[in-house]
Amino acid sequence: MPSVTVSVKWQKELFPSVEIDTEQPPYVFKCQLFDLTGVPPDRQKIMVKGGLLKDDGDWSKLAVKEGQRLMMMGTAEEAPKAPEKSTLFVEDLPENEQGVIEQGFTAGLMNLGNTCYMNSTIQCLHSVPELRSALKSYSAGAGTDMDPSSHTLTLAARDLFGELDSSHRAVAPLRFWTLLRSKFPQFAQQANNGAYMQQDAEECWTQLVYTLSQRLRPSSGETREATLKNLFGVDISSRIKCAETEEETEEAETVYSLKCHISQDVNHLNEGLKQGLKSELEKTSPSLGRSAVHSKESVITRLPQYLTVQFVRFFWKRETKQKAKILRKVDYPLVLDVMGFCSEDLKNELKAPRELLREQEDREAGLKGKRKIEDGPAPSSMDWSTTEQGSPTGIYDLVAVLTHKGRSADSGHYVAWVKQENGKWIEFDDDRPIPQREEDITKLSGGGDWHTAYICLYKSRVPKKE
Amino acid sequence: MAPDLKSDSSAPQPPAKPAKDAKKKKDEKEDLSEEDLALKQQLELYVERAQDSDPGVQRLALESMRQEIRSATSSMTSVPKPLKFLRPHYGTLKAFFQKMPESELKMYMADIISVLALTMSEEGERESLQYRLLGSKGDLGSWGHEYVRNLAGEIGLEFQKRRSEEEYISSLMDLVKQIVPFHLQHNAEPEAVDLLMEVETLDILPKFMEKANFKRTCSYLLSCASYVPELEDISVLDIAYQIYSKFEQHTDALRVALRLGNLQYARATFAACKDLSERKQLCYILARQSETVELDDEIPMEDEHRDVLQDIMNNTKLCEGYLTLARDLDVMEPKVPEDIYKAHLIDGRASAGASVDSARQNLAATFVNAFVNAGFGQDHLMTSPAESSGSTSTGNWLFKNKEHGKASATASLGLITLWDVDGGLPQIDKYLYSTDNHVVAGALLAVGIINCGIRNDCDPAYALLYDSVTKDDPAVRIGAIMGLGLAYAGTQKEEVLELLTPIISDSRVGIDVAGFAALSLGLVYVASCHEDAAQAILLAMMERDNDDPLARFLCLGLGLLYLGKQDAAEATFEVVKTVNEKISNYCQVTLESCTYAGTGNVLKVQKFLSQCSDHLDKGESHQGAAVLGIGLVAMAEELGSDMALRALEHLLQYGEPNIRRAVPLALGLLSISNPKVRLNVMDTLSRLSHDTDSEVAMAATISLGLIGAGTNNARIAGMLRSLSSYYYKDPSLLFCVRIAQGLVHMGKGLITLNPYHSDRFLLSTPAIAGIVAVLHACLDMKAIILGKYHYVLYYLVLAMQPRMLMTVDENLKPLPVPVRVGIAVDTVGQAGRPKSITGFQTHTTPVLLATGERAELATEKYTPLSSVLEGFVVLRENPDYVEDHLN
Repeated sequence: MPSVTVSVKWQKELFPSVEIDTEQPPYVFKCQLFDLTGVPPDRQKIMVKGGLLKDDGDWSKLAVKEGQRLMMMGTAEEAPKAPEKSTLFVEDLPENEQGVIEQGFTAGLMNLGNTCYMNSTIQCLHSVPELRSALKSYSAGAGTDMDPSSHTLTLAARDLFGELDSSHRAVAPLRFWTLLRSKFPQFAQQANNGAYMQQDAEECWTQLVYTLSQRLRPSSGETREATLKNLFGVDISSRIKCAETEEETEEAETVYSLKCHISQDVNHLNEGLKQGLKSELEKTSPSLGRSAVHSKESVITRLPQYLTVQFVRFFWKRETKQKAKILRKVDYPLVLDVMGFCSEDLKNELKAPRELLREQEDREAGLKGKRKIEDGPAPSSMDWSTTEQGSPTGIYDLVAVLTHKGRSADSGHYVAWVKQENGKWIEFDDDRPIPQREEDITKLSGGGDWHTAYICLYKSRVPKKE
Repeated sequence: MAPDLKSDSSAPQPPAKPAKDAKKKKDEKEDLSEEDLALKQQLELYVERAQDSDPGVQRLALESMRQEIRSATSSMTSVPKPLKFLRPHYGTLKAFFQKMPESELKMYMADIISVLALTMSEEGERESLQYRLLGSKGDLGSWGHEYVRNLAGEIGLEFQKRRSEEEYISSLMDLVKQIVPFHLQHNAEPEAVDLLMEVETLDILPKFMEKANFKRTCSYLLSCASYVPELEDISVLDIAYQIYSKFEQHTDALRVALRLGNLQYARATFAACKDLSERKQLCYILARQSETVELDDEIPMEDEHRDVLQDIMNNTKLCEGYLTLARDLDVMEPKVPEDIYKAHLIDGRASAGASVDSARQNLAATFVNAFVNAGFGQDHLMTSPAESSGSTSTGNWLFKNKEHGKASATASLGLITLWDVDGGLPQIDKYLYSTDNHVVAGALLAVGIINCGIRNDCDPAYALLYDSVTKDDPAVRIGAIMGLGLAYAGTQKEEVLELLTPIISDSRVGIDVAGFAALSLGLVYVASCHEDAAQAILLAMMERDNDDPLARFLCLGLGLLYLGKQDAAEATFEVVKTVNEKISNYCQVTLESCTYAGTGNVLKVQKFLSQCSDHLDKGESHQGAAVLGIGLVAMAEELGSDMALRALEHLLQYGEPNIRRAVPLALGLLSISNPKVRLNVMDTLSRLSHDTDSEVAMAATISLGLIGAGTNNARIAGMLRSLSSYYYKDPSLLFCVRIAQGLVHMGKGLITLNPYHSDRFLLSTPAIAGIVAVLHACLDMKAIILGKYHYVLYYLVLAMQPRMLMTVDENLKPLPVPVRVGIAVDTVGQAGRPKSITGFQTHTTPVLLATGERAELATEKYTPLSSVLEGFVVLRENPDYVEDHLN
């Protein structure tokens, strides 16, 4: 049997002596190599003079010499297959969707003439995904039962939010504005030249949230509370004490924002909130039969998913007959803890989830905290996001800031600063969205003529399900 | 007093001063010291006696005079006293000389007059030489150095005159043969070489060479070579080669041979070198220049050694050395594009992270990933990180690229496993079986990329690629064709010619396939002046409608065939003039710029400049090529590049848009991988990268990447980062910024694109060809790089080389030794032993070398076998070394 011994190099391995039976076709040789390397013959590529070794080639023509080194290429690996779901590229999307995705944030709103108060309010509210989805499911036939004007306004809000989501160019909220004016005539104030005047954004915010809370109710029959209340409503219980008679009454109410009062000794949001929950008011005392000074102390009994904090920056200045602005610098944190303002019962409720949240965060930060062995069900087994309680922890992250620049509420300029889902901050100055850094957001705390925070929207931190 | 004293003030040596002295002498004779006065009277006496009728007295007087002159060895800054005092008698002596009968004495007299003429002769009269020729022809060195230099200068002038009047020159030659050894003995090698060059008899230089002076002489010769007219430079280099060979400086001789492109010389050097270790060093040099010498039986050696040498020459060790360097510098860890973009450092308007993949940005990331991890064999996107995730992660990234993007993504695998033929090909293999044609095309290209600059006996690239060249799908064909071009650049492999010529000539194939085929052919036969190849491309140009952006590759392919070959392309040039006018202009300019690439030919630079001064209609693209041509021709040496930079600045201000668009590219070419030396280039490019013309901005951005290629230059990286936020809304410009960022961090800073190596002495032709191909593609950014031919960027791989100094022992094992690395200083023609580097730091090999840096060994323990410490250097133990026990 005529044979030639060669060495074969495969990847980084060398098979020093492989015998070739030159009477057999090269396919036989390939099978030999299959035994050595595990590469099936049809995947083998063997370099010989003038190209690749063919299965039916003739050894005699290839002039393989004794001891020659051949190189074999090939792997048993499968050819890579395209994933079943092909990647979606920006370039494939219709043009009007490209911008939104490329920028990573939604479109701006055009200023229709002193409408920045409305634009900034909409941008802030638009950042609440739950509100977006609630609006999306609001149908045109949801009942025109009692209040057709708020129904149409809600519909307009739904359409506007939809437009913001899909467009990459600035949106003109024309219809929404018209409806807002007709629903709330105070926004239709006109200046001498016939142009609509600047308005207070807080008023716009409050009215809008109120309207939506009226309309966006779960379908009838369910006992669950209205969506908006769940999202934004803060339950407060107050004890009102008459200064003269020491008489005490208790009151419970739901508010949609916490007020931060600004006085001489308020430097931080916490101090302002504390003051906001304590107030004095004159009211008729049933025992005295006349109005007397009462002190009111409030505690929070239920926390919402989204906590709205309003800085009471404007007060009515009699001499100038306008809402004047307090420029005082009041710092506000990126992470707000409101446990201190809660009732004792609520505090107890918050304890376990807060513990859990801290553990989770420690773990993420790489600290291995030992979990305390507790009796009873592990708190993590509960799903916090579905509880009636809007915020299980009382810890909130800042997600949107509405700022005002100028000296009075009815003048100046309103801008919304919104944190996107990817964590980036965007300043929505009407139709111009501008990326911003997080550290610059806390610099909007006032003290000068720069944009000053007016309304802050905080989102509750929820422990993850395990 | 001589009547012609005043006019004498213009005598060549020391000007003005004698006249002043003379005046002083007239007015204030009393000023002379007693000693001087005595000398003066003595000399006057000699002059008188020299005119005596008695030959005996005459002789004595002349002897004495001669004695006085010779012994006056005062400094060169003032005229020796005897000469000064004899000045008034110059005329007298000359007049007497005419009357003297022919005799030995007359010759004596001629000698003296010749010396006196040094200070007295009128400009252009060359009396010194004239009398010297009449004189005794005795030892001329005895008259002092200044006299010899003066004579040498006069000989040069006289030679020109006699040459033009076709007079006899042999007497001059005799004198030259006296002067040259004198210069060489007195450390005045440059003067000796200058003289010989002036009288065009450089060929006699080698026989005057000695061990003591040949090095300085050769270094002067080599640096002259860039500044003499064409053809003469060849003879200068030739002489240097002979001298090096004579003194058995084989590595230097080989470098000169390579510069000449003379492979016979290279072979001869190799044969002449008997020492195995030295031969290894020669092989390393050949490998760096991607040349080979066939090790056949005519060069006797043992088979075992033959294999070792062949391995080095085939560059198979390159990958290993590169990885050793990487491990030593601890940069093996793969980097992902985000590590390069460093988005966290951008403040304010950072582009928000997109939620949906952008095909363009993913493509950019593919390139960045490929360039940054080039040659490391591992990355996070393409090579599956071991078995943990299998092929899923790979597949994922690959399919995050769109259509033709997948070709570039697959090809990036080739770049990541660059030079590692054994390790890389198996990883690519599976892609060859893909059902997606773009993936197959990319895999074929990857095969070419891996084999770039590496030769292998088994020839895997050809075996894998040749079949696919004739496939139906144009993408697959282009992949295979480009792969062949990269794998066999500069090898003149005949099989490739046979494979590609039918494609180029076939008018049925698309212009894209034909264009790439022409370019590949140009690369394989780069600088070969190959007739058949040129013919094929010319035919294609004539038959085709060349109205496509890719038609430029036909022109470029043709140009590359004649790269740096100067007038060898003349005939082809004439033919090009006759082809379709749409392409003729572009082709002419391209051809001319290629043929004079790296020659520094000033006339060509001027020609290109004048072409750029025309204000033409839109649609004329040849001016862009002309601008590139300026860079290409002028990049040869520093002075020329500086001049070209100024010229380009003018074009920027006055040129039409199509010229302005090419200027940044030319700037990039002139400073490629060299950001530090000319900082103003960086500033100009930074300015242009914000230009309102987006194509200028794109070109400038890419060029910023080119000048910083493989340097990790922090300033450029910062500029590009801010550009990335400036252009966050413009996908095309952002793509360019990303590519540039990838280039700057190429090979994590271990790689250079500079086509010049060996102390800027040698130009690697495949390297420059690759760069030029990319630059020409950049002339029409939209159609090529931003279109679907972005993989032309992979042509840069031809120029990629590790910028390292790796020292190995005689058995080729890495040998760490201390070296000093500093900025190179030009020491050519300087007196004494000047330091060749400045501002150095001491490191242990392997070390990185930046452009413009030089290394020298900081230990006496070893002697390097190569005079230029770059790339791989073999060290031999110094037998005379004594360990310093004090330390």
